[in-house]
Amino acid sequence: MRTAVGVLVLASLAALFALPSVLSAYYITLVLPAVAYAIALLGFNLLFGYTGLLSFGHALYVAVGAYGAAVLSSKLGIKSFELVLLLSGAAAVAAAIPVALLSVRYEKIFFGILTLAFGMLFHSFLFKFYDITGGDTGIRVLRPSLFGNEFKDLDKTAFLVGPFYYYCVGLLAVLGFVMWRIVHSPFGLHLVASRENRRKSEYLGVRVRFFRLIAFSISAFYCAVGGAILAINTGQADPELAYWTHSGELVFMAVLGGFANFFGPLVGAFTFIFLKSELMGITQFWRFWLGLTLIVIVVLFPRGLVGLGQDLWTRLHRQ
Amino acid sequence: MTSFFDIVLGGVFHAAVLFLVAAGLQLVFGVQKIVNLACGSFYALGAYFGISAVNWAIAAGVPPALFLPVLVLSGILLGAIGPFIEALLLTVYKRDEAFQLLLTFALVLMFQDVLRYFWGANPQQLGDIATQYGKIVVGTLQVPTYNVLVILASIAIALGIGAFLQKTNFGRILRATAENREMALALGVNVRVMYASVFTLGTMLGTVGGALVVPTAAASLDMPVELVVEAFAVVVIGGLGSMRGALVGALIVGLMRAAAISWYAELEMLAIYLVVIVVLVFRPAGLFGKAVE
Amino acid sequence: MSAILETVGVGRKYGDFVALEDVSLSIAEGELVSIVGPNGAGKTTLVNVLTGLLKPTAGVVRFRGEDIAGIGPVMLARRGMARAFQLVHIFPAMSVGQTIAVAVISQEWKGLSFFRDVSRDESVRARVHEVASIFGLEKKLETEARHLSQGEKKLLDIASAFALKPEVILLDEPTSGVSSADKHGIMRNVVDASKKAGVKAIILVEHDMDLVAEYSTRIVALTAGRVLADRPPKEFFGDPEIVAAIVGRMVGRLAKEA
Repeated sequence: MRTAVGVLVLASLAALFALPSVLSAYYITLVLPAVAYAIALLGFNLLFGYTGLLSFGHALYVAVGAYGAAVLSSKLGIKSFELVLLLSGAAAVAAAIPVALLSVRYEKIFFGILTLAFGMLFHSFLFKFYDITGGDTGIRVLRPSLFGNEFKDLDKTAFLVGPFYYYCVGLLAVLGFVMWRIVHSPFGLHLVASRENRRKSEYLGVRVRFFRLIAFSISAFYCAVGGAILAINTGQADPELAYWTHSGELVFMAVLGGFANFFGPLVGAFTFIFLKSELMGITQFWRFWLGLTLIVIVVLFPRGLVGLGQDLWTRLHRQ
Repeated sequence: MTSFFDIVLGGVFHAAVLFLVAAGLQLVFGVQKIVNLACGSFYALGAYFGISAVNWAIAAGVPPALFLPVLVLSGILLGAIGPFIEALLLTVYKRDEAFQLLLTFALVLMFQDVLRYFWGANPQQLGDIATQYGKIVVGTLQVPTYNVLVILASIAIALGIGAFLQKTNFGRILRATAENREMALALGVNVRVMYASVFTLGTMLGTVGGALVVPTAAASLDMPVELVVEAFAVVVIGGLGSMRGALVGALIVGLMRAAAISWYAELEMLAIYLVVIVVLVFRPAGLFGKAVE
Repeated sequence: MSAILETVGVGRKYGDFVALEDVSLSIAEGELVSIVGPNGAGKTTLVNVLTGLLKPTAGVVRFRGEDIAGIGPVMLARRGMARAFQLVHIFPAMSVGQTIAVAVISQEWKGLSFFRDVSRDESVRARVHEVASIFGLEKKLETEARHLSQGEKKLLDIASAFALKPEVILLDEPTSGVSSADKHGIMRNVVDASKKAGVKAIILVEHDMDLVAEYSTRIVALTAGRVLADRPPKEFFGDPEIVAAIVGRMVGRLAKEA
């Protein structure tokens, strides 16, 4: 089973790298946000799937990443994407720590509401303080340099579907590997223990709140990286990124793919982006069908697409 | 510069409507332990449907004085969708909260397009119904009669719910079920009927609230998601599950919003959410909620 | 002999209600002290005070000479006291091996390593295996805790507490909900394991007087928040007044429950 998973992961990565030679530029600009969400979801699910804390406000950190990229590139003239990622990520961690300090005192619905409240606080800040944040139009994001290379001979689309795309897929691979190690580390085991039985884990010496604070910060960092990629792809950071419905979409993706599995949220991110864009192409009532899909998943397949896949796999192997 | 009196009146009017939605949210949370993100969608649905109802009434020659009852009635009728949605929620009562929250989020998405399908993407307005009710003049103060009527209606509903929960048998059973579901089951309470009725009542409070507001404000597709945010603020400040909390929370949010809009518009939601966070930090259970941990 | 764990004049009030009053007891190395008493006698409060979960409103509680009043479960574990619960406390979705590993990791201060694969950590793996075999769970290392039998869940609960290498272990009705045939098995297991693992003292809260009589070196009886008696088992059961006050009431309660 383990080797099968390994083969599948390598094959998916190879496929992602090979996509630009198969698909048109239009589709690649669609895959790019899916890659961005996949990275954000890796972080989100450390908190949701592994730690058992459902945040309804993680769009905040996606927005911090996007605005970080915007401010750094168009206001401070920083071009290096590596620097943008690090600084936006650091900003997200800095924003996450006070929120986490308050929120990790609670669990379940109270945690969800508190994180939602902070998300909306940030949204109204972005929306209302026009002078700093550009209000509802947001801030433009300029094209970054990758490893010091500005790719001046490429136009915007060629840059996005070319070097930037490969860079982001590489980033997904690296950050995915790091997250894989985190969830399988002693730290990750302690997080799961605190999810399974908080009281018992404390009596076994697990510093629950402190560990949850760290998990929260790591998840914020990942979300910010995803947000920075999203913003560069659209060339814009706007307040909608921080709106609570966007946080809801993150949860949607995690559940769609299956949050109990490491790869579930990744599958969820790709499926969601394609489902959404396909539906938007077919009908103006795409939200209805998206909502209906979510209901079907929640009611009938709570373990998500990956859970469904696992069930099929075991059924096939039994016969 | 709006006068202080107008701000208070505007705030109380907004609070009256917010209270109805928040009360629905509280009722459902108190009994079913589900936080219903779709409460804003019910509100918006009530608003749109209210507009259509009044338009029908105008076409049918109903005198303007009866528009308010027409609106209330339309809201109550819309409550009929409650049992169907509750039947859907039934599938996730025993599941993790994440699934419950997400199911109501799915409803938000779906209702968004239901509204768009029936009423279109442009905001809908009811014309000048409210002013037809005239103004009450006390000395130098002028008060739109319609707003006063809505505030009175909301107070009446609040008292009605209070009496219903405290004095009637059904209300007592309902509170007992909220306290201890297993015990209620053991005592032979029909929890299925209980849940369906509570959810329907909660839905009605939302739809009536939405219907009452349309003579003074346009109905738009932003309504559902924006109202959820305010209703959440109300219940968090007041304390999840507490009716008294919904009342106080609605007044705080309504007045603060009115004050912020006329004095410093940038602070509108920011101010409300700062209060929410301050309350959560110092009184995590809200002003009237039970302790959490 | 010096005490590992002691209370001096401990009292605990909840408003006007006095749950504990002037409780002084000391537990020394090599002892297995049972705490008995009817329901409402203050056993749970005393246990919570002894494990640093609850601050006493009067008196002091010392573990290895240090005040541990209200230090909380995490620091308690770090200082060398473990607790197993009356109701099984397990991690339902985690395997037996993982459950024990949680304790081993915190005992070895490895909780903050983010990048090491825990299943490939030889010292953790060896220790997990060692603890599991003490409790006869070595064949179930891969089994998820929720699929264990009730008795095995109890053992896992206790085993994970042992993995902390505690000096003192507190067992809160370790055999409740277990068939009487298994009770002695579990207790013998625990006592043997403690000797092997270097546990210096055991505190046992138990209703079953057979177990108390057989395994205790000393019995502390509580009634109405006060210490009624603090004696070795022979003297304890030899005093008809005490037996009447404690055992009689407990038997009466059991009879009523039945």
